[in-house]
Amino acid sequence: MKAKHLSIIVKKEFRGLLNERTILLAILLQLFIALFSSFLMVGLTSMYDPSSLAKYSRFRYSVAYVGNDSGIRDYLAESRDFNVYDMDLSPAVTALQERKLAAVIWVPDTAPDAMEPVKITLYTIENDLQSAIVNVKLKDVFLAYEKDLRTVRQARITEQPVPLAFNPARVGNDFYEFVYGLLIPLLLFMPALIASALVIDLITEEYQHETLETLIASPVTFTEMVWGKVIACEILIPVQAGAWLILLLINGIAIENVPAIFLLVAVTSLVPILIGALVALHYRERTFAQFIFSTALVVALLFALAIPANPLNMVTRLAVGSAGTEQWPALACVTAVAAILAVLLHLYAGRTGKEHHTG
Amino acid sequence: MGTIRDIATIAKWEVRRTVTQMSRDTLPIAIVLFLLLIAVMGFTAQSGMHLQDGMYTAGVDDPVLAQVLASDNRFTVYELSPAALRQNRQSFDLVILNGTVIAGDTDRGRAAQKTVQRDYGRYTASVYNRQEDLFAAYPLWIDTEGVKSELDFTSTQSGQYISARPGAAAPEPEGALLDVPTPSPTLAVTSDDLRTSLTRTESGNSQIARYTEMLTSSDTGTSFRTPSQLSPPLPFDSIILIFVFIFPLYFCSQFFMMSIMNERIERRGELLLSTPVAPATIIAGKMLPYFALMLAICAGLTLYIGAPLPIILPLIPVILFFLANALVIGMVSRSFKELSFISIFFSTVATSYLFFPSIFANVHVISLISPLTLIILALQGTAYTATDYIFSTSLFWLTAGVLFYIGVRNFTEERLFSGHGLLTRIREFVSSGLPENHPFASLFLMNGFLIPFVFMVQMLCLVLFFNLPMPYSLILLIVFAAEIEEMAKALGIYTLYARNPGFFSWKNLLLACGVTALGFLVGEKLLLFVTLAEISESVFGSVLFLSLGVLWLPLLLHFIGTLTVAVALKAGGRKWLIPGLIAAAAIHCLYNLYFIMGWLA
Repeated sequence: MKAKHLSIIVKKEFRGLLNERTILLAILLQLFIALFSSFLMVGLTSMYDPSSLAKYSRFRYSVAYVGNDSGIRDYLAESRDFNVYDMDLSPAVTALQERKLAAVIWVPDTAPDAMEPVKITLYTIENDLQSAIVNVKLKDVFLAYEKDLRTVRQARITEQPVPLAFNPARVGNDFYEFVYGLLIPLLLFMPALIASALVIDLITEEYQHETLETLIASPVTFTEMVWGKVIACEILIPVQAGAWLILLLINGIAIENVPAIFLLVAVTSLVPILIGALVALHYRERTFAQFIFSTALVVALLFALAIPANPLNMVTRLAVGSAGTEQWPALACVTAVAAILAVLLHLYAGRTGKEHHTG
Repeated sequence: MGTIRDIATIAKWEVRRTVTQMSRDTLPIAIVLFLLLIAVMGFTAQSGMHLQDGMYTAGVDDPVLAQVLASDNRFTVYELSPAALRQNRQSFDLVILNGTVIAGDTDRGRAAQKTVQRDYGRYTASVYNRQEDLFAAYPLWIDTEGVKSELDFTSTQSGQYISARPGAAAPEPEGALLDVPTPSPTLAVTSDDLRTSLTRTESGNSQIARYTEMLTSSDTGTSFRTPSQLSPPLPFDSIILIFVFIFPLYFCSQFFMMSIMNERIERRGELLLSTPVAPATIIAGKMLPYFALMLAICAGLTLYIGAPLPIILPLIPVILFFLANALVIGMVSRSFKELSFISIFFSTVATSYLFFPSIFANVHVISLISPLTLIILALQGTAYTATDYIFSTSLFWLTAGVLFYIGVRNFTEERLFSGHGLLTRIREFVSSGLPENHPFASLFLMNGFLIPFVFMVQMLCLVLFFNLPMPYSLILLIVFAAEIEEMAKALGIYTLYARNPGFFSWKNLLLACGVTALGFLVGEKLLLFVTLAEISESVFGSVLFLSLGVLWLPLLLHFIGTLTVAVALKAGGRKWLIPGLIAAAAIHCLYNLYFIMGWLA
């Protein structure tokens, strides 16, 4: 293998990518996903944790209280989120339907220390975002009242959980776990998926467009050609991953251990690229190569996720800065897998090349 | 009759060719991979997803609480003496000391505390669930009654509430009083049933459920919930099921895309084109096996999960939409690389469109934009109405139809084997839809038929921006909607200009802008009338569709926007297209802002 030949192939592939402006499409795709995931972030985190949405509004919701007086009535009156009105059931529900109220609560006259539970009925508007928020705010009221009732009835409870107090000033959100524990690993490994699909295209294209003969006639060997394509795709990985990291940084998401993340992502991404190259060499036809490869990829990805300290998890840990020394054995394992695949590809390409030269 | 026979013959060819092309080990390997997939899924279900392992470190002085945290992989837990904890306070994200959580004042510390709160909640629940006297441990139960309100879409705009301003006095209902029966003060189920549902919620605490638990209201099996179970319902299972439906569809449409592409490689399709069979027949024949396969997969899956067969109905337009896109993508892309990127791009966008709104099923009517929501509703046992069906599928039917038409029109030797770049090819494709002898009539029609696409893109924007707090969502929507509409209207003008710059004399230019504006307006009004009344009456709708009654104003706006672009083209040539578009969009935005502001005030 000559470095010069490899670089010829790499340059040729990049020229092709630039000429066709497919690289523009790829950037567009990334931008769309970035845009989409930032919206997804707001959307999903608000679903993850609707109270994050609730803080957008400093609105006081009008709530009707119907039935027997209870602690709930007091909690609602104290709460800064609600205006409480004492009403009768029918007018209250009618007003709710006309959207003059956000919810109606009906409380029966069950005594707090009764044997049976206190069963309240909550009327809210169906299929409505506002109801979701009102529910979340009401939940706090209900939880407080549940605690009071439990205290009243505590003689009947035989085992109490170990008490634990929280600092109410440290209010966390799910945004953090969503971003670091899901978004960052997924985004950083997306270039690997794109690059491995690309390597299949590059190899099968030589077969299907019957440009192989010209290549064989040139001084570049078949193995060099395959490796050139693999390297071209691998080069795209740090570029794209870097773009993601910059986008995340612009969004104010701090990421630790960037060099280690780069190293890990680059090595790990080599695995699907090599698998893609092997599959493409075997099938020499895009449709089935892509089909088999995507299925194999899903299997491999699920399997990887089921193993502790997998590369995706390592990226999460590196990004939040909680990775210990276990990142090095993890990296070594991935490198070993990539090396085995590289040897396999080298042998397979050599054998296929010989076939082409003699046949 | 002849056409049907031709279609059948071509379909048979297509099947035979695919089978013979398949290398001998494709099927066995696919089967092996499929079996592996099932095995790996089992393994993953058992071992759990290890994505967030070890995110936080915690020091705990209490063995029980240490046990609680250790059951959550996100924590690396150290059980230490209080003295040691106090000394090494800084090396942990979070410390539990004497029954108090002390979290670091960082994002990570706060997130860790939130996670502990959740874990602790689960732990308390598991203790209370074991109580003999269930109603002492869970003294409060809530029965949620949904009230249907007709105002749905118009009233809740992304965190803005239409509820009347709270006054001192209780609100008086205006309409006739509903007769609401007084609810029963007792639970209609036994405490044993409640205990079962409580423990089921608890045991659903697998690794995967970790991602879902905050999203789903635990499906308790009864309508009674404890306060901690009260959260907005998200149909998570159904959403996962949706993916099971959609992925095979992607694969099949990929095969179709490749089959079209293969006809173009080395001019293989020449033979087929030289037969006296019409392009429409060829396309229909080639598509039929894939359509049948996709339908069969959906039907099979439906039967397998024991769902009612009508849930396939919303999938049919989706299948056709995929196939139509596959046809056009297979026809425009020059190389495999291009094919891959365009199809990945398309599938990402399409998935967002289909998937994202369906997250809001049960929460908001916006979810109905996606046909998948109908499936979720059907799976949950809520029947959807014919109006819902039209509302969420009409855009898919229409766009698929238009794309097929474009595909058929361009299924000729000249277009299939041309080596032009992507953008040129797209322009050529549009150009075939604008015959030279009827430029104005076809411009009118084309702009009418562009409307479904414009709506689709705008809907996607609506779905994306919907989540943002109010002023931002509206402003972004105004800007994007204007830009999209101006781009759509400029498409025909630009195509005509690129084909023959001399065509645009001032008279022709005015005429062309006029018919473009008219076509756009007519298409818009027609489609709105039929389908989107629900959205068009909200404040978002007024941005998107200018449905403000008066017709001549929007017509004038469309005309001026198109004219801006056309004049820019005529005066400055192609490089003035983008500035022209920006200027037109700016005018459009100002108009919208004026109207929205006026309307809001």
